[in-house]
Amino acid sequence: MVEIWFAILSVTLAGYAVLDGSNIGSGVVQFLVARSPAERRLVVSAIGPLWTWHEVWLVASGGILFVAFPTVLAVALPGFYLAVFTLLWCMVGRGLSLELGGHLDDPLWRRFWEVVFSVVSVLTAILLGAALGNLVRGVPLGASGKFSMPFFTDFKTQGQVGILDWYTMSAGVFTLICVAAHGASYLVFKTAGAVHDRSASLARKLWFSAFLLLPLITAETFSVRPELFTGMMDRPLAWLALTTALAGSIAVVLGQRGGKELQALLGGGGFIVGLLGAAAASTFPVMLRSTIDPAYSLTAQRGAVGGAGLALALWWWPVAMTLSIAYFVAVFRQFNGKVRMAPPPSP
Amino acid sequence: MDDPAFWHRLQFAFTITYHYLFPQLTMGLAPFLVLWRWRALRTGHEAYAQAARFWSRIFGITFVVGVVTGIPMEFQFGTNWSEFSKYAGGVIGQTLAMEGMFAFFMESAFVGAMVWGERRLGPRKHFVATALVALGSWLSAYFILTTNAFMQHPVGHRITENGTLVIADLGGYLLNPWAWVMFAHNQAAAVVTGAFVVAAVGAFYTLRLEHQGQARVYVEWGIAAGLISAVIVAFPTGDVQAKFVARYQEVSLAAMEGRFESGAMAPLHLIGQPNVKMRKLENAVALPGMLSFLAYGTFHSNVRGLEAFPEDQWPTNIELLYYSFHVMAGLGTLFIGLMALANLQRWRGRLLRTPLLLWALMLAFPFPFIANTAGWLTAELGRQPWLVYGLFRTSAGYADVVSQGDTLFTLIGFTGLYSAVGLLYLFLIGREVLHGPPNGHDEPPGPYPEMIHG
Ligand code: HDD
Ligand code: HEM
Ligand code: HEM
Repeated sequence: MVEIWFAILSVTLAGYAVLDGSNIGSGVVQFLVARSPAERRLVVSAIGPLWTWHEVWLVASGGILFVAFPTVLAVALPGFYLAVFTLLWCMVGRGLSLELGGHLDDPLWRRFWEVVFSVVSVLTAILLGAALGNLVRGVPLGASGKFSMPFFTDFKTQGQVGILDWYTMSAGVFTLICVAAHGASYLVFKTAGAVHDRSASLARKLWFSAFLLLPLITAETFSVRPELFTGMMDRPLAWLALTTALAGSIAVVLGQRGGKELQALLGGGGFIVGLLGAAAASTFPVMLRSTIDPAYSLTAQRGAVGGAGLALALWWWPVAMTLSIAYFVAVFRQFNGKVRMAPPPSP
Repeated sequence: MDDPAFWHRLQFAFTITYHYLFPQLTMGLAPFLVLWRWRALRTGHEAYAQAARFWSRIFGITFVVGVVTGIPMEFQFGTNWSEFSKYAGGVIGQTLAMEGMFAFFMESAFVGAMVWGERRLGPRKHFVATALVALGSWLSAYFILTTNAFMQHPVGHRITENGTLVIADLGGYLLNPWAWVMFAHNQAAAVVTGAFVVAAVGAFYTLRLEHQGQARVYVEWGIAAGLISAVIVAFPTGDVQAKFVARYQEVSLAAMEGRFESGAMAPLHLIGQPNVKMRKLENAVALPGMLSFLAYGTFHSNVRGLEAFPEDQWPTNIELLYYSFHVMAGLGTLFIGLMALANLQRWRGRLLRTPLLLWALMLAFPFPFIANTAGWLTAELGRQPWLVYGLFRTSAGYADVVSQGDTLFTLIGFTGLYSAVGLLYLFLIGREVLHGPPNGHDEPPGPYPEMIHG
């Protein structure tokens, strides 16, 4: 049961990364691929009205944490207190910029929200990446079973660590590049014209850098947490995830060469899901690793809710997920296809 | 202030009060949108389609602010109330997760289609999208209110060996009687807000001699819905709420009424100032016996006062609780009066020619927001000193690893951010109202319209 919920949580978080990653990434690359205000409106239109649906995947992940692993939630969120609020404030800024930025036909207004959108997108990507880095590296969980972390301490990865150290910062940068690459692929798929062409060439460069940096970040991860790799050996799911990541990266390269835009987009998504999946599968059952002493690590079993909670939630959760995907399909079909700029109104 | 829980409480109270200003309007407008779209679909009356189009834009802006202020709420259970989450997560996690899975996914999928998709979807599908957004927002309220109802009146749980709560009876938890009453009362109160806002905009246009056709629709629908919902808020739902409080939170009732001594023929205080130090209500004007009657159905019932309870079970802020309750109930009475008068004049065919009443309708719209906030203050302060009534104290629930400085910092951050958001919101709504209902299909600029899909 705990395994199932751990898997559901991982899938939901990976779903969030891929779905909302395309929107965050579009924000990151916005100024690189869209040169005029009209082109930047095109980027926002390409994100379209479904971004809230993507964002809800994060809320849903929080909900799953609550229903299945309340103790993990109760240890992790206050531990990352300031970082969580920085992230939440970024999300406030992003929501406002996407929805309200178009309300006034005024150059200053639009400019302001474009900049807000890009800045918070970059920050969000780095913060999410650093958060992942923290999960991999571990947190200073002590005997009290709680922790609280400052933004940084001595930038080392052992003992009393901070949110940012050399490892989590490189995780943040790597995530930023992956998310930007994914966003560019998304814009290739959703737009036509100049934005499309610039996105295509940027996506090629960004994915190339991501693949190039992958061995480096892997080596870093190995030095910070070697047992992740030894643990991986006898875990078929981790291998499946790695194969997905590999297949995804091949699909990206082939898709970009052959002009198959959807394939490249999905390949990038597969790459991201694969890496996250491999991390999740090899870290299980540890959910919060202690940098002080492995014995203090919080495992899924200890973090899980007692009683019949897990079993009960398994009754309604699949129903809700199916419904939610059905809504998505219904709405997505209406906004299917590429966005292009409307011809100027005829006089 | 030296109490480390203080800043957590202040931050949670501020952010939730602020958040709820927006959902109460979207939930209150939702039935209007559904009904207008429905009438437009059935009768082909352009006026209703136009009304729905205008209010969808207001809804859309409000919804966005509701969403961006709601997301921090969900996470604050973890960041600020982690000990509470650890303790009660086994129960309230169910509804918090259900809210995301059943309600937020539904709302967020269709809201864009509802606000911006009229042309693309065609009238039928567009009606469905509107109805689903409305359903989603009311569902969301049901789940969050069930969560809150559990904190007010815990049912369906079991206490484990290590002292935390887990769910024992999911059905019983979801069907908590307190949740039903709360839902009925709270949703009726949201419709009061929606109705007052719709009527206020209608009155504004009428007085400015603008958009006459639309103004008429707004005023008439606004006052009709306003009267119905204001009555429902008071009776039966407010009445039943009070009876529930009398039954399950006796101390809270005593504090809400500023009642210190016990006895039969308990009076209902219309005005007065509680003086907790002296343990008496000063300058009281009261209806004798009414509290006994309202709480227990007979004038001779004994209503116990605060003195009958140990002080460590008294609500922590009796004065504010007392005033909040009286502001809510007082405003509720005034709402019924105002709306009854407006409907009477309308029935006599004189409403649109009674400027005094139109002025009153135009200026009355902030008061339902005040009444709703006061109502929540009543519920939440009345629950003190408990986080989960009778089981878990508020003083045990906050995140003890977070330093006071950090909480103060985030509280200040929210204050700044939300002040800016509030100004932005008022500016955008003001613009929409001044711009007026769109004519035909001349959609003013929005997030996506100038682009062609497909
Ligand atoms: C327009 C808003 C509005 C108006 C006019 C009223 N209420 Fe209310 N009331 C609410 C909006 C509200 C609310 C915000 O929706 C609350 C907070 C929690 C809840 O379920 O509803 C609430 C709570 C609430 C409670 C507290 C429940 C608790 O402690 O948990 C009581 C006893 C009443 N109401 C009773 C009344 C009575 C007797 C009214 C007489 C007219 C009344 N309300 C008018
Ligand atoms: C939107 C309407 C609501 C308003 C205006 C409101 C208001 C408040 C206020 C004023 C407090 C502070 C009480 C104090 O410090 O004495 C508070 C506390 C709290 N409320 Fe609410 N509340 C609302 C809805 C909810 C709901 C729906 C929930 C649960 C799902 C909830 C959960 C809490 C929690 C966990 C606390 C913190 C603990 C405490 O101080 O009691 N609130 N709320
Ligand atoms: C009286 C209590 C509350 C009611 C009736 C309510 C209702 C709503 C509604 C209708 C929405 C949709 C947005 C809108 O219409 O503006 C919303 C958004 C939201 N609310 Fe609240 N809310 C309440 C309190 C809370 C609390 C206590 C939390 C925290 C647990 C919360 C979390 C959220 C979240 C996360 C969203 C964003 C949903 C999305 O992404 O679509 N709400 N709320």
